[in-house]
Amino acid sequence: MNTVLSRANSLFAFSLSVMAALTFGCFITTAFKDRSVPVDIQVSKVMIKNVDDFTGPRERSDLGFVTFDISANLQPIFDWNVKELFLYLTAEYSTKSNALNQVVLWDKIVLRGDNTKLNMKDVKSKYFFFDDGNGLRANKNITLTLSWNVVPNAGILPLVMGSGHKSLTFPETYETTKSY
Amino acid sequence: MFSAFKSIPTDMDYKGQKLAEQIFQGVILVSAVIGFIYGLFVQQFGWTVYIMLAGFTVSCFLTLPPWPMYRRNPLKWQPAVPEASGENRDKPQESQKKKKHK
Repeated sequence: MNTVLSRANSLFAFSLSVMAALTFGCFITTAFKDRSVPVDIQVSKVMIKNVDDFTGPRERSDLGFVTFDISANLQPIFDWNVKELFLYLTAEYSTKSNALNQVVLWDKIVLRGDNTKLNMKDVKSKYFFFDDGNGLRANKNITLTLSWNVVPNAGILPLVMGSGHKSLTFPETYETTKSY
Repeated sequence: MFSAFKSIPTDMDYKGQKLAEQIFQGVILVSAVIGFIYGLFVQQFGWTVYIMLAGFTVSCFLTLPPWPMYRRNPLKWQPAVPEASGENRDKPQESQKKKKHK
């Protein structure tokens, strides 16, 4: 501590240790919080097609088209330890060949400071709703749920499912593509 | 120009070093507590970091330059054994400057 450099070294190291302790304190104040909020999902249009699937082992697979509305208030989730939320809409169902199928249809990133009232209407799915086979036709119970991944400033990244889901049924017949 | 910088003394005596250490630890801890409480209140961790940085800057200013308050207790050296009478009548501070003690 006799020279300026030695004092500066000591000061800087102490500041970093204190900063680490503050970050741990930030983590501890929000570690046990419940980050689930109610979510309302409505479905407006459901259609199914049987198309060539080049990624699968068989020639034709079922392809579903779902148009939905989502509304949720995400404001209670954001606190001083949340940097952003990664939302994704999952469709979960079971078929004769597979007991459990989960397909992500749509996702969105909500940053801190963005509008936290989610109110989206007539949203088409971002990703293809392909089935592994032909199990979507006349499937009685397809459950849509909205989940999110909380990205914190410090600590664990939890996967949280919103409370509230929507069940839908696919029609019995395929739609043929119209030619204009 | 550099010779002018080199002649500025930058060391402190032992009691001054202890005082400087207490001062910067105190300032940084106080600013950390204030920053934590304020950040928790407005729910923005950025404010905690800003207040900590402000505390860091204040304590840099208070302890890095060798203010006179850190040099009030200089070491008392033994008087030098005179080889010839009157030759080694240096002031104690000057002999401390020549000997680089940590």
